[in-house]
Amino acid sequence: MARFQIEQATVRYGTFPAVTGIDFNLDPGESVGIVGPSGAGKTTLLRLLNGAVRPSVGRVKVDDSYLDMLSIGGLRAVRARVGVIHQDLRLVPNLRAVQNVVSGQIGRRGFFASLRGVFFPGRADVARAHKILERVGIPEKLFERTDSLSGGQRQRVAIARALFQSPDALLADEPVSSVDPARARDTVALLTQISRERELSLCVSLHNLELAREFFPRLIGMRGGRIVFDKPTDELHNADFEKLYDLSRSEILND
Amino acid sequence: MRGSRRIVLLAIVIAGVWAAFYLDLAPGQLIPRETGWKVAREFFSAAIRPAAVDESGLGVSLWGRAAKGAWLTVVFAATSMSLALVLGLVFGLLASATIWELEDSGSNGWRHSFRRFVAPVLYTTARAFIALLRSVHELLWATLFLAAVGLSDATAVLAIAIPYGGTLAKVFSEMIDEAPRGAAHALIGAGASTTRAFFAALLPLALPDMAAYSFYRFECAIRSAAILGFFGIQTLGSFIVQSFELNLYREVWTYLYVLFALVLIVDWWSGLLRRRLVAA
Repeated sequence: MARFQIEQATVRYGTFPAVTGIDFNLDPGESVGIVGPSGAGKTTLLRLLNGAVRPSVGRVKVDDSYLDMLSIGGLRAVRARVGVIHQDLRLVPNLRAVQNVVSGQIGRRGFFASLRGVFFPGRADVARAHKILERVGIPEKLFERTDSLSGGQRQRVAIARALFQSPDALLADEPVSSVDPARARDTVALLTQISRERELSLCVSLHNLELAREFFPRLIGMRGGRIVFDKPTDELHNADFEKLYDLSRSEILND
Repeated sequence: MRGSRRIVLLAIVIAGVWAAFYLDLAPGQLIPRETGWKVAREFFSAAIRPAAVDESGLGVSLWGRAAKGAWLTVVFAATSMSLALVLGLVFGLLASATIWELEDSGSNGWRHSFRRFVAPVLYTTARAFIALLRSVHELLWATLFLAAVGLSDATAVLAIAIPYGGTLAKVFSEMIDEAPRGAAHALIGAGASTTRAFFAALLPLALPDMAAYSFYRFECAIRSAAILGFFGIQTLGSFIVQSFELNLYREVWTYLYVLFALVLIVDWWSGLLRRRLVAA
């Protein structure tokens, strides 16, 4: 069970503050969408959740442990339970789909077992990878080289790799920004459905407000490294989004 | 950017022209003098009619010698390359910036100090060491071994393996450093140690290039092994020297064509394997 908690965290890259004093909570099995313009700090928020960045001020808690109190082994154990789908996917192009999928287990096994799994996946691993690829819709691509797949199919492989971790939570960074609109809807639907089936916590950052409102019961708006709103979706009004993107002002200027 | 590139290009051309004048190079130097003409004509006319049978009158089969020389050339090249590959892989990994730089934000305490203070020292030492290996040519290594312990099969292998190991290590380290690190970072984010992430997601990206380059170096090793015959090991070079000293140019050309065939065969074989590596 993953329960994330960010307490008053500030992250600086050099002197540039990526996020400033943010608070955030995500319960087991809950799903939330994060919206906001580019550079709002959405990616940094996600990176805080699996300890990919450390806050210079404030703390991050996953389940009952503060990430800064964990040993490296403890932190890796936490990361192994959190599946991340990166915007740029980050697959190994010249490995087969099955090998990329099985590499999801790398933090959960011993050194040689994990590497053998990637290079010479055993029958059980292949069967499990096949089942997961079936769930994401591309079982026939199991043994294809990853770089021979289309962008949408590669994204499925990245999702399958995260699922192969048997995670308690999924974090997806802009999963729909690099796919066409029809696929975008499929991708968000897939992520939310799978999270519901497996009772995973889900945290997705996205630009597409329409999809965000349709698929997430709770939305967080970010801007300039701060959280502007954090509400159930049905309590949000157009005014909230206009504030987020400065729509009203630009519209006034255009008139 | 474009302006500075033009300046560099101009500087290279000027340096080349200056060097030619400094060395007093002239096309006339390629023309042989007096008796040289005769030798040159004999040598090059032998190229179109290489020997098919023994011409030395020593009562040994030409093709027997050619086969033995070719076989030993390949054996020496393969043995040297195996050893060079071990050196190249070990030091190539140690001399790549990536293996030391793969960042794990969870690193703290002694890991952090290691990364900060010890890793740069190891990295620099590895780079200096491979520079030392490859700065001495295989012929010079052979000469040194010959003077120090006498040239045996083992020292001949070492003479090739040492500089080749250094070159492989340098090129491997650069290929590793050029590989994108995104996938490795993704696995670190999934709980992998930096070492695991390196082997699972970074090395596979560099491997096809590394394999292709190794085949090319195997080709070079065949030439080097042949040349070490000049020092007495029974590779093609030793037979070339013997025939050359007896002015049997047609035999020399037979051996040269055998060497040419060997290189072609390796090239064809590596092309086959490379296609499989890239397209598999």
